Amino acid sequence: MTADTPFTHIGQPLPRKEDRRFLTGKGRYLDDVTLPGALQVTFVRSPHAHARITGIDAEAARALPGVVGVFTGRDLAQWTAPLRLAPPIEGLHPVEMTTLPVDKVRFHGDPVAVVVARDRYTAEDAAELVEVEYDPLPCAADAETALAPGAPLVDDTLPDNLVSHQSFRAGDPRARRAEADRVVEARFNLHRHTHVPMETRGCLADWDAGRAHLTMHIGTQAPHPMRGQLAARLGISETQVTVISPDIGGGFGQKIALYREELTVAALSRHLGRPVRWREDRLENLTSASHARETQCVTRAAVRADGRILGLELELTEDFGAYCFYPANYMARVIAMILTGPYKISDYAFDVKVVLTNKCGNGPMRAPMAITSWVMEGTIDAVARELGLDPLQVRRINALRPEDLPFTMPTGEVLEDVTPLETLEAAVQAIDLPEFRARQAQARAEGRLLGLGLCTVVESTTYGSQFYKAAGIPGSGHEAAWVRIEPSGVVNASVGLMGSGQGYETPLAQAVAEGLGVTPDVVNVHMGHTDIAPYGMGSRGARGATAGGGTLYLCAQKAQARVLAIAADMLNLNDAQGLRLHNGQVERRLEDAWQATGVSLTDVARRAYLDPTALPEGIDPGLDVSLTYDPPAMTYSNSTHACEVEIDPATGRIRIDRYVVAEDCGTVLNPLVVKGQQQGAVAMGLSGALLEQVVYDENGQNQSATLADYLVATACELPDIEILPMHTPNRKTPAGIKGMAEGGIMGSIGVIAGAVNDALAPLEVTAEQMPLSPQRIRGLLRRAAHSDAGKAFSKSGTATDTIHGTPDNSDGRTNRA
Amino acid sequence: MSAPVPISLVVNGETHDLVVPPRKLLSDVLREDLHLTGTHVGCEHGVCGACTILIDGQPSRACLTYAVQMEGHELTTIEAVAEGDRLSPLQQALHEEHGLQCGFCTAGIVMTFEAYLRDNPQPGEAEIRDVLSGNLCRCTGYQNIVTAILKAADLMREGQGA
Repeated sequence: MTADTPFTHIGQPLPRKEDRRFLTGKGRYLDDVTLPGALQVTFVRSPHAHARITGIDAEAARALPGVVGVFTGRDLAQWTAPLRLAPPIEGLHPVEMTTLPVDKVRFHGDPVAVVVARDRYTAEDAAELVEVEYDPLPCAADAETALAPGAPLVDDTLPDNLVSHQSFRAGDPRARRAEADRVVEARFNLHRHTHVPMETRGCLADWDAGRAHLTMHIGTQAPHPMRGQLAARLGISETQVTVISPDIGGGFGQKIALYREELTVAALSRHLGRPVRWREDRLENLTSASHARETQCVTRAAVRADGRILGLELELTEDFGAYCFYPANYMARVIAMILTGPYKISDYAFDVKVVLTNKCGNGPMRAPMAITSWVMEGTIDAVARELGLDPLQVRRINALRPEDLPFTMPTGEVLEDVTPLETLEAAVQAIDLPEFRARQAQARAEGRLLGLGLCTVVESTTYGSQFYKAAGIPGSGHEAAWVRIEPSGVVNASVGLMGSGQGYETPLAQAVAEGLGVTPDVVNVHMGHTDIAPYGMGSRGARGATAGGGTLYLCAQKAQARVLAIAADMLNLNDAQGLRLHNGQVERRLEDAWQATGVSLTDVARRAYLDPTALPEGIDPGLDVSLTYDPPAMTYSNSTHACEVEIDPATGRIRIDRYVVAEDCGTVLNPLVVKGQQQGAVAMGLSGALLEQVVYDENGQNQSATLADYLVATACELPDIEILPMHTPNRKTPAGIKGMAEGGIMGSIGVIAGAVNDALAPLEVTAEQMPLSPQRIRGLLRRAAHSDAGKAFSKSGTATDTIHGTPDNSDGRTNRA
Repeated sequence: MSAPVPISLVVNGETHDLVVPPRKLLSDVLREDLHLTGTHVGCEHGVCGACTILIDGQPSRACLTYAVQMEGHELTTIEAVAEGDRLSPLQQALHEEHGLQCGFCTAGIVMTFEAYLRDNPQPGEAEIRDVLSGNLCRCTGYQNIVTAILKAADLMREGQGA
């Protein structure tokens, strides 16, 4: 314990409790859970992006030995209720979907029928025998097509494909434009991603006909909301459903919603009276689980000649895919809400459109607001480029300073206890910007392309109930916990979260240990079982530490007060004043020092459970405490990423030479786990920015259906990440926790774009579209080779060359791709 | 689709007599017939490396292998790496360096590097990254895995010197 922390266990880098079982092959993931007699399903999926279903012939499939049945959307419609999403949000169309499509498919991979068989091999054979007759329809494979007049309707019940449209204005951005020395326009196009958890989706549904009870084994980040959805859609009560989440092999936002396949499996278990299981294969996961991002942004910044931003306007269009498992404005809204983040901007307007297309539906993926920091920092860099200013100076002149806090953003979001200017300066110092600029100038003289990016992130982490209320989204941001000291003095605890690999078991045990006054090794935190855990909102955003850890910490403090009230009586004291529980022992403050009393938690627990008549008046038997907690409307962490790259002009390869993150995420429960989250988030962001891409052709055919096509970064593509930890506590949360784990995605996307564009600056080309694949970089270099700037630069060295043919990935405008 | 055939599989030193369809993948037989669920199936097309086991001591993809091909070979899975409660140096280093998060890819990485470190006791970081590129990890960014493997190599060399 260092002198500057008030904590004993919070902040200790304890290795994780769950490691041993994972390292020895003893983890229990969904597919490791078996039930006797379980049947296996396989889905028959649409080969078309958009088509009417005109007939399904399952005779041959049903005749295959081992096949139990083949069922379609019509069957499921009898057994389940449709999902209706109609939150009262202006500009958002209500939508409804059946459990499986009945009359039309909307994307390549849409499930049209389900085969149930004794094993997976048989089920897959039978699925091949199901003959589905389709009448193909014209498709809207991208947002532009979908928004064009007369476009095919993805959802026949809507007037058009613009499923959500919101505008907002604070101050007077138009007037600021008139006053400005320059209006700088910048474009950002973040492509379609998918989550790729190493463990695909799946579930095991077990309907107990005798008890009329469903037990659903499913890796889910949000067990209680999942239980509520299952009950509602199956037309049974929440008392008839138990959701049990085993170990989860990664979620990243893909394991929150109740998907159609999972509901189908649950309904089949009830219909057949047998356990039924589903294991998604990788092709299904890549094409049909959930996609994310595919967001285009345009900003217009009204600026003074010195780079000060007077007003900012954002136009955003998200290609949402074919189905809404979330309100369609859910992710895009957050981007628009927090865009101005680290900068002092008051005049701001946005126009946000979300469009249905014939693709797999979108959902939140680690950092639903992933594009935000690229858009803001890219705008700053565009301002610097167009005005010939130092990008660092443009950041500084616009930065929020400590004296500006608390700062109300133009959208009404309040920032406090954040340090964006401090992280910027720390990152700039660590990466030694002047030294880099000198090296860069020399490299440019040799025709080499070196670049450095800076990206400051203000990450919305924990969403309180007030945020949801203000956003019009039904739901809550509160969390619930219980702490039980058992008769032997050990501690069980539970919270409504469910981790998907982050390692909650150890940091949450540390939060309990700190609040209660025991060592973390005697604490066991139980999660992921709806009959054990209290009703909580689960794991999403970056709420695990603040909502989960915070609630457990407060609950454990409440438990400590109970323990000390009993201990005071045992010590013949009038009250618990001057007592504390420390590492399981009751201590008393005497003469400015904590001294042992000889009473231990075990002594207190024994009395509370086994000798309750000895308890003081007004104290009930047992030591069982529960508590709920609603975090502030929003908490924020912040960071600055700095990264140095060199582009190989011959191949377009981007080599990352250095990567630094200065991050202030307040009080951390376990720095080892936090560092793992920081590294992992940056890695996932870089992987997405450089390599990953869901590709659909103009007919809506998914072209990235294997891991050989959808490229996830390997150990050879990712750099080591240097982290400068900063810890400014949030004064409004328990223990000063802020939450983190998504900002690394926002920062890495923004910083790599900044670094690449800095490297390309002498060629006067700008990358506006991701991924920054070698092909795209080569396309930019080819175009530059024909421009005056490019010719001038290549004379200075060996850089660009000429390649015949049409550049790929062109968006048709000059010098931008 | 042909009829199940009898095979004899030697896994972790134990011989198992089984009757399996010829098309049944080794990964499925290990998991379903032998209940060795530590071997994970991540992609079933040989890219992710989660199902890596040792066949005659060499790292191999269990998802690209039929069980019936394994007659006469010695198979080793993650369940045989620790000795009782004692983690191997590699497992211990992965624990200490936080070289795993969700754990789904971990068995494949352990199997790959138990063999690699046995044959290459003094690897450099670049070599480790090159070998590790056959195993996808979606959680860690690989940095702590690389650190752990370097540490394990040190531990194993010290262990042999002692």
